Amino acid sequence: MKVPGIRQTMSDLHIWTGLLVGWVLYAMFLTGTVSYFRDEISQWMRPEAPAVKQVPDAALVSDRIVASLAVLAPTSTQWSFSLPDARTPTVNSFWRNPGPRRAFGSATFDPATGQKLAVRETLGGDFFFRFHFDLHYLPPIWSRWIVGFCAMFMLVAIVSGVITHKKIFVDFFTFRWGKGQRSWLDAHTALSVIGLPFHFMITYSGLITLMLLYMPWSGNIALKTPEARQGMQAQMSAFLQPAKPSGQSAPLTAVGPLVQQAQARWNGSGGVGGVGSVNITNPGDAAAQIVVVRSERTRVGTSPQYILFGGVDGKLIRTVDEVGAAAQTRGFLYGLHIGRFADGTLRWLYFIVSLAGTAMVGTGLVLWTVKRRQKLPDSDKPYFGFRVVERLNIATIAGLSIAMASMLWANRLLPGGIANRAKWEIHVFFIVWALTLAYAVARPARKAWIELLWVGVAAIGLLPVVNALTTDRNLFASLRNGDGVYVALELTLLVLAGLHAMLAVRAAQHRSRVRVAKPKRSIEGAAA
Amino acid sequence: MSGHVVVFALCLAGFTGIALAVERQQEELFGHALSAAATRYLRIAGWTGLLMAFAVAVRAQGWAFGSVAWFGHLSLAAGCVFGAMAVRVRRRTRRPL
Repeated sequence: MKVPGIRQTMSDLHIWTGLLVGWVLYAMFLTGTVSYFRDEISQWMRPEAPAVKQVPDAALVSDRIVASLAVLAPTSTQWSFSLPDARTPTVNSFWRNPGPRRAFGSATFDPATGQKLAVRETLGGDFFFRFHFDLHYLPPIWSRWIVGFCAMFMLVAIVSGVITHKKIFVDFFTFRWGKGQRSWLDAHTALSVIGLPFHFMITYSGLITLMLLYMPWSGNIALKTPEARQGMQAQMSAFLQPAKPSGQSAPLTAVGPLVQQAQARWNGSGGVGGVGSVNITNPGDAAAQIVVVRSERTRVGTSPQYILFGGVDGKLIRTVDEVGAAAQTRGFLYGLHIGRFADGTLRWLYFIVSLAGTAMVGTGLVLWTVKRRQKLPDSDKPYFGFRVVERLNIATIAGLSIAMASMLWANRLLPGGIANRAKWEIHVFFIVWALTLAYAVARPARKAWIELLWVGVAAIGLLPVVNALTTDRNLFASLRNGDGVYVALELTLLVLAGLHAMLAVRAAQHRSRVRVAKPKRSIEGAAA
Repeated sequence: MSGHVVVFALCLAGFTGIALAVERQQEELFGHALSAAATRYLRIAGWTGLLMAFAVAVRAQGWAFGSVAWFGHLSLAAGCVFGAMAVRVRRRTRRPL
């Protein structure tokens, strides 16, 4: 038997690792891509919250929120809230409810008044963000193992893909039109190579963000005591677990001046929005502590930087500016992955290249069927495995766009009063996604592609219309009010709808070409 | 912001140079391959453009932000050059139809 060469081996490895996890990867990639605009999507999904005109003073806002929390959750052992910034107009807060169960309450506040905002119940853009590593309906630990498994395969697919691709520089700019499999391969390689630094970074750093879950052993061996483990946690997160309360009540010091103190420290270098969030443990108790956490908008890494104050006397206990080298490296890779530091231009670059990554996975999946369709003995009756891949491709690629759009439709159309409204938005997402799979199975493959892509065009493209009919923040009003987030988001939706229309047209053209070939045979048959 | 524009323009120019240094693209655009010397100059100019873009990005935004931005512009510029080449090939091959 002839031993296959390295390229052939790597090519096989690339094809099968890519196919096996391709559908999950596609969903992770697309939901992760839109997560770069997570805050903007959240704004769109909470139309009751006012648009950001000017970022309010963090110290003033903090005092207002603390006053509200003292009324809302007086017996809580922990309050936490994020401060508004250019991308989030509201204060999002959560608190720990007393009791043995780890139950948390949460609310959205208006920074201008400190009062609870009557916004619709929704997870907003956070759903897509969470889905891209926690999936849904599954225990998060399982999901993260699944996701990590897929990401590891992705890393294998990237490396084996680079080795397979013979002439990475010579073929860099080559695209051959209308050559079937050759064109798909050109598109797939172009999308891969053009975004290669990003694709590699995002896969590797994605694994790093969850490295302690995937590889806990070294930490478990090295750190024997709970204190040591807590010390390691503190290297990675500014989140302070509440200590045991003393039982002696004592009034909480004013938080505003502490926020100002932190701002003076972090704003010194000319940064903006120095303070990101405030975390208060055991408020009202003599053992109260206040952590003022630095915003992640002004630096790439997400390693914790915070100042810890005594909650009663307001004295500075500890300032943390940097953590150990390993934790710093992890924080940097984590930050690179989620791009919280990115300004407008950089955020768009992230989004576009990540979208190219999504298309890379999508073209890879389609390529598998294109390559094998030619070799089918009877193209009307492909074998079972081929049909599975083909239908899953349709439901994943065309279906996910529809499902994601349907969640935004549900956000506008579900009535405000129903129980578990936020959960129902998510149920709608999955129900619609399942329906697209059923449709893809029931219809002939080419028709399913074309029809579902057109459904996608309508589902995405009509969202600005739905918004105009259900809120008073239609596109023209947003333009008039200079509401950049709404304008940009809805224009982006229209562009994405256009993209789906282009794909639908291409898919339809492809079909007609095959049609031309078929009657020929029957004419010959008739003539004979 | 203007830093971004300069970095992107340099990346775009750089990749255009590198693309024009590929024989297949030369035949596509000029109908014949360029001389070895011209090809070499184009390639050097192209890579110089990319390196200059890096320098500008780091100068304007620091090492951390600058290098992240450079990689982003690099990918976007490569995509634009690729897209332009693909559109050109399509125009040329469609005409005889």
